[in-house]
Amino acid sequence: MAKDLCKTLADLKEDEVLAIVEEKLKAGADPMGILADAGRAMEIVGNRFSKSEYFIPDLVYSGEILKKINELVKPKLTEEGGAKTGGKVIIGTVTGDIHDIGKDIVVFMLDVNGFDVVDLGVDVPIQKFVDTIKETSAPVVGLSGFLTLAYDSMKQTIEAIKAAGLRDNTKIMIGGGQITDEIMNYTGADAFGKDAMVGVSLAKKWAGIK
Amino acid sequence: MPVINDIRLNLKKNDVLRRQGFKGYTRIRPEIKTLVLELLESTESTRLLEPTTAYEFYPITGMEPDRVLLQGGAVVNGSLLPSTFPDAKELAAIVCTIGPGLEKQVTEYSRGGETLRAMLLDGIGSAAVDILVQETCRFFSGEASKRGLQASSPVNPGMPGLPITEQRNLLELAHAGDIGVSLTSSGVMVPRKSTSMIIATGPEMKTWTQAEICARCNLRETCPYTVLRS
Ligand code: B12
Repeated sequence: MAKDLCKTLADLKEDEVLAIVEEKLKAGADPMGILADAGRAMEIVGNRFSKSEYFIPDLVYSGEILKKINELVKPKLTEEGGAKTGGKVIIGTVTGDIHDIGKDIVVFMLDVNGFDVVDLGVDVPIQKFVDTIKETSAPVVGLSGFLTLAYDSMKQTIEAIKAAGLRDNTKIMIGGGQITDEIMNYTGADAFGKDAMVGVSLAKKWAGIK
Repeated sequence: MPVINDIRLNLKKNDVLRRQGFKGYTRIRPEIKTLVLELLESTESTRLLEPTTAYEFYPITGMEPDRVLLQGGAVVNGSLLPSTFPDAKELAAIVCTIGPGLEKQVTEYSRGGETLRAMLLDGIGSAAVDILVQETCRFFSGEASKRGLQASSPVNPGMPGLPITEQRNLLELAHAGDIGVSLTSSGVMVPRKSTSMIIATGPEMKTWTQAEICARCNLRETCPYTVLRS
């Protein structure tokens, strides 16, 4: 009998996970069922991370395994089933700041969790965020920044989004090394994430996904 | 202008793993450990790490509560130096970098969707800067003792009392351009894996450990990279 996919993925046993998925697909299992199991496993991974049983590299590793599962399952899905279910998220490192690895991890984790991510890169001009919200109607925006100066850029970006009349329909999260409640209030964001997992949880909450 | 480019970085596994955000080294997955070691090896076989340090010594001509006056008319602003090293005789303005190679590779991994590799290699780069700083400090201890003096531990712009706005000044004092380090208009050093610092020399200079730095840092409760909670 095939091993439990959810448990094996939660334990990050890559080779075993991929073997189980292949076996299930060969046996004609419902690809949506496989993805549902994987989704539950990712929740367990998230819990283990919040209890410090797993670390950021483990989290990213789980995302990479999930990505491989998606690649195996994709050909078996109907077009509708294969579509991103989480909704659009725009993300970028604010103007004046060029740090990328933290933002890239958030982009990756959102992507493997089913969000359609528009990654604007680093040192993103304020107007670029405004224009992209207009073009895509994305309901969630993530701003990343490391340096103290990034807080002013975040504040100005959020003010510009407001001035363009887009703030009411946009939830904004910020993140980066040393963001606190105080900095969040200063910038006018809706929430902040101390790590990529919080970013995913916030986006899910705002998209109405459990 | 003085440049040191024969520094050997002996990167140890534990230094590297700390920079990956692991708190308990024993619980690291074997797959990730293997990948870290593979990436570490790749930095040795390719030219991903090109450690260099540029510096200049400046005799101190005056100390005021919130600035230090240097021979030649330069000034370093901030209260940290006068309050920490009131008896200093000289300051060394220093900039260290591992060069642009590693971060280019990190970006390439990231663009290619290899996020785990990207973040692990990025952590290796940060650990390499840590070791480069340690080796540079050792060099300055040696230089100071040749003059019958002691070298302090380093302080960096961005620490309380040494404003980040001193970055441009410090980069000029250290002739950072000689090793290819520049500052963006918003004050970020490029290559990113670079650090700027000041070491004071004098008859009896203060030194401290990484644990003491972590204990005083405002991020001490939450920082994944602290040496305090392992
Ligand atoms: C490693 C490190 C370095 C390394 C590497 C830097 C690099 N950019 O690659 C080195 C030693 C080179 C360095 C140098 C400097 N550093 Co430094 N550095 C750090 C440190 C310890 C970790 C940063 C890091 O690499 N994190 C790894 C990534 C993966 O994490 P992350 O970016 O935080 O992203 C995660 C989360 O924040 C979150 N996230 C990120 N974005 C977003 C967005 C959203 C929407 C959400 C929800 C979540 C989210 O999710 C990510 C994954 O979980 C931080 C302190 C800290 N604990 O954060 C200081 C820190 C950033 N450095 C600091 C300083 C001052 C400097 C220097 C100026 C010091 C100097 N004078 O030389 C230089 C500047 C370098 C430059 N290029 O200009 C300060 C900045 C403070 C300030 N005033 O602006 C910090 C905060 C340290 C401190 N305690 O003060 N640094």
